[in-house]
Amino acid sequence: MSTEDAIIELLEDLCPGVDFKSCTTLIDDRRIDSLTMIALVADLEDKFEVDIPAVEIVADNFNSAAAIAGMIDRLVEEDLD
Amino acid sequence: MTSYFTITFSFIFLPLSILLYAVAPKRFRWAALLGTSLLFLWHLSRQLTLMFLASALVVYACGLGIEALIARRDRLIVEGTPKKEARASCRRRMRLVLAAGIVANLLMLFLSKYLAFFCEITRAVLVPFGVDAPIGIPPIRAPIGISFYTLMAISYLSDVYRESIPADHHLGRLMLYLCFFPQIMEGPICRYGQTAEALYAGEPIKRGRLYEGALRILYGMAKKIIIADRLNLLVETVFDGKAAYDGGIIAFAAILYTIQLYCDFSGAMDVALGVGRIFNVGLPENFRQPFFSRTASEFWQRWHITLGAWFKDYVYYPISLSKGCKRLTSAARKACGNRYGPLLSGGIALFCVWFLNGLWHGAGMQYLFFGMYYFVIIMAGGLIEPVAQDLSERWGIDRAHAPYRVFQTLRTLVVIFVGELFFRAKGLPRGIELFSTLVGSFSLESFADGTFLALGLDGHDLLISAAMLVLVLAIGIARECGKGICRPAASLPIPARWSVLIGLFLLIVVFGAYGYGYAPVDPLYAQF
Repeated sequence: MSTEDAIIELLEDLCPGVDFKSCTTLIDDRRIDSLTMIALVADLEDKFEVDIPAVEIVADNFNSAAAIAGMIDRLVEEDLD
Repeated sequence: MTSYFTITFSFIFLPLSILLYAVAPKRFRWAALLGTSLLFLWHLSRQLTLMFLASALVVYACGLGIEALIARRDRLIVEGTPKKEARASCRRRMRLVLAAGIVANLLMLFLSKYLAFFCEITRAVLVPFGVDAPIGIPPIRAPIGISFYTLMAISYLSDVYRESIPADHHLGRLMLYLCFFPQIMEGPICRYGQTAEALYAGEPIKRGRLYEGALRILYGMAKKIIIADRLNLLVETVFDGKAAYDGGIIAFAAILYTIQLYCDFSGAMDVALGVGRIFNVGLPENFRQPFFSRTASEFWQRWHITLGAWFKDYVYYPISLSKGCKRLTSAARKACGNRYGPLLSGGIALFCVWFLNGLWHGAGMQYLFFGMYYFVIIMAGGLIEPVAQDLSERWGIDRAHAPYRVFQTLRTLVVIFVGELFFRAKGLPRGIELFSTLVGSFSLESFADGTFLALGLDGHDLLISAAMLVLVLAIGIARECGKGICRPAASLPIPARWSVLIGLFLLIVVFGAYGYGYAPVDPLYAQF
């Protein structure tokens, strides 16, 4: 399973009923609110064993499943360096 | 010159600043902007400008200190020190430098703005224990804009610490970012990454941008001088007067105050953004049609946007995503599920945000109450939302349908008006008194017998305010639909372009609330 698919699975658990495969405005359209964000960050950290610092919580990193996957891949890579 | 809405600012200071900037060689234009900004600050704050200079020097030194530690960490890694070890050895010192910079700035803010308030609270707490010693402190004045530039200084240091921006080695550019004259009084609260480069770039003044900026400035002035200053007459009578009014009049005054505050503050933002546009500096928008909001939470994403965003980035997420809160979230989610689980740590972070938001607005119990009011309402919204969703599904209510959206907007407006009533009242006891009268003796009699026209605003004033509000509303609807006003106007044929500008100017001259019968009103947010 790719990082993006795993993230879509997590998102569907947190917010059922949103098309996470195609939505690219998750933050701009407030599909992910601040409470969901807290739960999502906790899930992402558990699943991918990375620390997501507060500085990463910006719309560009969370507007789509692909953007979240990009951020996770980057953080994992930085951790391995 | 006490604000952006004076003749001295509009017809002398601003044109001379533009002229000085335009004639200066490109590489010195930043210096022209810094010079005029410091002059503006000096004119309003006199020797207190030294406090700003001290603050800027501390921020500059701490930024460089943090960057030096980051460089040391990277050097250790290159030299073969394990990454975790290198990070840990530098992180503690980086935190210390960051904390020193933040504490120094907050201390200056505390001493000049909050010391007297906290002495008063300490005294009130000690009285029940038999200690009634007056805690006297000499009155300390605060430099203009300290609440705004302190938040900008903290965001700069935090961003350097987080490595999202490099530290600025140019003291002049950093100072200009902190005190650019159109934003120093009332914001917007900019991030270093948003404006510093553009301020330093010294782009030439272009005719198109000059027109767009001038139009935006005039629009802001129209909102402030035609609407806000006019409504102040009734607002002042009801909120500050000794006479007793019925609930209907108090509700009317609360609504008018909300409109006054919006036109005053967003008008100042129009001026700031307009001036920024002239110098090709894109200041961030601070308002996005706030009265179209469907929830209190959405309202704060549309009203004073840069303050809300600052609290979200530097208070809410750092607290809710701290190690302790993460553990709390994890335990609470196991016990209460995905929706209610994060509420506990989210609530702790939200409490801090609203406590600080209230305190930021002023040293007074009414401001703390105002913060707690929104904390309770937004938390309650988070708790009720899943229940409301279930109920609307069960009862077949389409929440996306227009009638429901209108209901949500009206409900949010009531929440806003009540909040602003407490915010405007002179002290919390007066706010409680006004609110009790509003609820306890609500009556529309004063409107039926025309008494409301004897409170400072006659029919003529109300008509002018209403007509101008219709224009503001129409522009708001156009913006909500993604259509700007200034850029399309700038692309009109020259006669039409000048007609719009001159028409707006004449509108202010003819219908502005100034001169006999009106008192000049200082910008409301400059006091915060």
